[in-house]
Amino acid sequence: MDAQRSGWLMKRISRFLGYLILILTSLVLIAPVFFMVVSSFKVDAEYLSFPIRIFPKIAQWQNYKLVFTMTPFAKIALRTALLAISTATITAFVSSMVGYAFARYNVPGSKRLFGIVVAMLIVPFIVILIPQFILYSKLKLTNTYWPWILGALGGSPFYIFMFRQFFLGFPKELEDAAEVDGCGPFGIYWRIFLPNAKPVFATVMIFATNSVWGDYLTPLLYLSNSKTLLGVALTTAFRNPQGIEIKTVTLAASVLYIVPLIITFFLAQKHILKGVVTSGLKG
Amino acid sequence: MTKQISKKLSRRDVLKLSGTVVGGVLLAGCGPAATEAPVEKPVEAPVEKPTEAPVAEAPVAKPVEGNVVIMHRGNELNQDQIAAFQDANPGITIEFVEDDPTRFYAMYAAGSPPDIYRIQAPSVPGMLARKLLLDLTPYFESSEIIKIDDLAPANNYYKANSPLEIGSGKIYGMAKDFSPDCTVFANKTLFEAAGLPVPDDTKALTYAEIMEYSKKLTVFDGDRLMQYGYGYEGAWIDRFWMNMLAETDKSLFSAGYDKVNIAGSEDAKAVVKWYYDMAAEKLTVSPKNPSPSGWFGNDYVGATLGMAQYGYWFSAMATGDLNKDGAMMLPAPTWAGVRRDPTVTATGAIVTSATQVPDAAWKVFEWYHGGQPSIDRAGSGWGVPAMMSQWSLIPQTTDFQKQAYKVLQGELALNTTPLQFNPFIGELTISSLWGKYLDQALAGTITFDDMIAGIESETNSAIKDGIDRIMG
Amino acid sequence: MATETLTPQSIYGQVKKAGLTRSQKRTLTFYTLVLPWIIGFIFLSVFPLVVGLLTSFTNYDGLNLETIKFVGTRNYARAFDDADVSFSLMRTVLWGLLNLPLWLVVSFTLALILNQDVRGRGIFRTIFYLPSLIPATAAITAWRIILERNFGMLNNFISLFTPEPIAIGWLSDYSLQGMTGVALWGGLGSGMIIFLAGLQGIPDELKEAARIDGANGLQVFRHITLPLMTPVIFFQLVLGLIGAFQQLNLPLLFTRVGIASASVPPRPIYLYMIHTWSQIMDQGRYGYGTALLWMLFIGILILTGIVFWSEKYWVYTGATEEGGK
Repeated sequence: MDAQRSGWLMKRISRFLGYLILILTSLVLIAPVFFMVVSSFKVDAEYLSFPIRIFPKIAQWQNYKLVFTMTPFAKIALRTALLAISTATITAFVSSMVGYAFARYNVPGSKRLFGIVVAMLIVPFIVILIPQFILYSKLKLTNTYWPWILGALGGSPFYIFMFRQFFLGFPKELEDAAEVDGCGPFGIYWRIFLPNAKPVFATVMIFATNSVWGDYLTPLLYLSNSKTLLGVALTTAFRNPQGIEIKTVTLAASVLYIVPLIITFFLAQKHILKGVVTSGLKG
Repeated sequence: MTKQISKKLSRRDVLKLSGTVVGGVLLAGCGPAATEAPVEKPVEAPVEKPTEAPVAEAPVAKPVEGNVVIMHRGNELNQDQIAAFQDANPGITIEFVEDDPTRFYAMYAAGSPPDIYRIQAPSVPGMLARKLLLDLTPYFESSEIIKIDDLAPANNYYKANSPLEIGSGKIYGMAKDFSPDCTVFANKTLFEAAGLPVPDDTKALTYAEIMEYSKKLTVFDGDRLMQYGYGYEGAWIDRFWMNMLAETDKSLFSAGYDKVNIAGSEDAKAVVKWYYDMAAEKLTVSPKNPSPSGWFGNDYVGATLGMAQYGYWFSAMATGDLNKDGAMMLPAPTWAGVRRDPTVTATGAIVTSATQVPDAAWKVFEWYHGGQPSIDRAGSGWGVPAMMSQWSLIPQTTDFQKQAYKVLQGELALNTTPLQFNPFIGELTISSLWGKYLDQALAGTITFDDMIAGIESETNSAIKDGIDRIMG
Repeated sequence: MATETLTPQSIYGQVKKAGLTRSQKRTLTFYTLVLPWIIGFIFLSVFPLVVGLLTSFTNYDGLNLETIKFVGTRNYARAFDDADVSFSLMRTVLWGLLNLPLWLVVSFTLALILNQDVRGRGIFRTIFYLPSLIPATAAITAWRIILERNFGMLNNFISLFTPEPIAIGWLSDYSLQGMTGVALWGGLGSGMIIFLAGLQGIPDELKEAARIDGANGLQVFRHITLPLMTPVIFFQLVLGLIGAFQQLNLPLLFTRVGIASASVPPRPIYLYMIHTWSQIMDQGRYGYGTALLWMLFIGILILTGIVFWSEKYWVYTGATEEGGK
């Protein structure tokens, strides 16, 4: 009886502490976002001058109007979204398949090959920046979206590694049962591993989409301005005639930039977490 | 059970995949964006008509055609202007690429550098030494729009007989507009509050006076810096040094430009010491004492800065709510009492020697620097037009604009020889070293002399590398 | 490499005909599955890698293609005379030591809490991931309001508890700490979401079974959750290590303001990549910069190798062991 009550109390306290941590962390994490949003309504000179005001003197809605007049923002955003989602989908499928192979097949050469995958993660991007441009330029693929698509078709070392790690943790019984049912290797990947990797898959989709959505360097190098993507527009478009960033307009554009991402994430995160790995586990 | 779930999932995933892949392919096949800009007829530049009849030269027989790749900045050349040009010049298309050094290197390495490239004056000698520039003299000589006589003196930065003889000779490019970069913007209100007399805008301050004023204009609240005296563009530090030394015909470099000379020159040392003292006394921004808003221009507009050293272009944005009654422009200060043309940037463009479409590239170049875009720029107040005939378009509406215009006239009349920049190092070589060593000197980990020795030895090593590369 | 031109169908046809052994069959299957990556690697990466390596033996500066020449190992030798190489390396190690454990522990803790049945967890997850979505340029603009020395919000907040208003230079003298805050803020989301995905993969049955056997919460964590999470922790450790040593953007953003397109970050965050970047962009030493990068590559490779070597001692794999203990 006594033990039960103290257990109940402990649970209550730990619950309370959990919420306290969550709420405090949320406040700390949101503070910069808050400043970003309120500053997006300020005049540029007002953004950080003494005496500092938290809220703008007069809300500058025109910052948001400028986002659309200084650049074809909506058009660029749509273009970027299409490219981001397609490359993310391709890279997620390819990487999951390759990652599955690395997790489950310990054959001659597989370790060495995986070593190359990891090494590719470590190669500093600056080293291959210019040669890669030369390569695509000789293939006449600069100023097209092919560098993204081709890159995705080969899978990404980061996601291959990630899938491998998650698949390593999958219980052996999963594929044993499938093999008994007569599944081939690709069938096991497609019917067992992939569906059960839904949380990772969704995570990779989020990462890969976000990385194209926000990428600055690749579109800067490969595309001309009429085809450019959001990351470049965000960093180069909102400038005064002298070329100096109008910070508050960039902030307004950034607010618009993250809204679709927040909505997508909020909807996606539920799916990430409907893991199905448990069903069919009990042998 | 498991199989059912996974089957359902995979089918949905397949659908998702096929849908998006098709989307991707479609996207990849996209052509260039349609031009929907309102078509504006390019107006001819108001170039004064020569009294004589136009040169009796046979007009070019075949129309100029080609795809011109221009690497520039979106805020200086926009899509509407490009569309207007393409409408007026069928046969020429413009591919606009955002300005970025890495991309320039990459395009150059791939054998296809942009035809037109935006640069600043200090890059001209280095690019010329690397044979990257196309001689545009014949084009300038036969141009109906840009007259050589009409070019403002700042364009001399784009003229050269050799990399070490900048200032006259062949014409390799021109400024889009320029500013006397060392002029000073003072905030009268802060001067009055500090008990200082409002400066006389007909006289150039000395750098010594600037330091005195800065001491009075700098306000602390405990450890906190609430207001500071003087702001300057850190990336231009070597240009300032060169300009200050040029007042007494001294140079920052040795005669052959193969060495930088600070420690061995009392004059150069004194110039550097002035900047060091300003930073050490927190009268100006430094790595230890960064600008509150992140950029001293905004500090000035936000009335936390007494004096901002910037070119005439800054007058277009110098007034805001917080300093609206205080803004005034002053002549460029002097180091040794001799006034010099304080233009050290002269942003413009060149045509690369590797261009396959020189005629088309010139058309675009000529239009950008002498056509409608230049007229638009001239009237905007964001810089002095590169052609003197457009100076009448400079805005003079508000009292501040009138005051700035008056000071500007004095600076433009100086007309001294341009600075000879070092062809063997980059635009940022010295300024980045200054930032790195100043930080350590202010922290006390090295002395002032160590700082100079460090800047000097690293710059000399960069010059040595540069010579090695250029000479092959 | 031989499988390059083969399609899965043709391989399986051959397999049937030849009647391969089980292990040969597995080898073929493996290479078929990783084929897209191998093709991508050969066609898209090998050439850039080779050229990138050759660059490090030249006096390339980005523009001197006509007069470029090989300088042997001079660029590599130069690194040992460059005092800023060792200085920046030490700063980078310090940065990693400060940043990596903090990031791992905090994001894992948050993931653990959010893996529970917490009310509004969708909203919390979104809030925690939010910073990862914010573009870096905007993030640093917003953070400046907080970290600014003279009237920034953080110093104002701390000053509520001090007799005198304080002025800590979070963007200058204490930029290492300031940058750690920004990095943690921006990195928690992706750290958390990867851990969450891993936690979601742990079968509830295993935990329930353990509880029925009388294990308390801590014991379940210690004996079920933690071991099953080791592959994910391993992944995060490797990635975090690589990321810490290659940190370039944040210090650049801490300084890159106004017209000055390249300026040098304050000494505390003068990291290895910054020194490299400055050598390439400011000093025009592309060849030397690439040599520095290859040296960094070797260094990280060795460190990662050590982590991988340790894998067998602490990382759980379902393929070689029994699933539930």
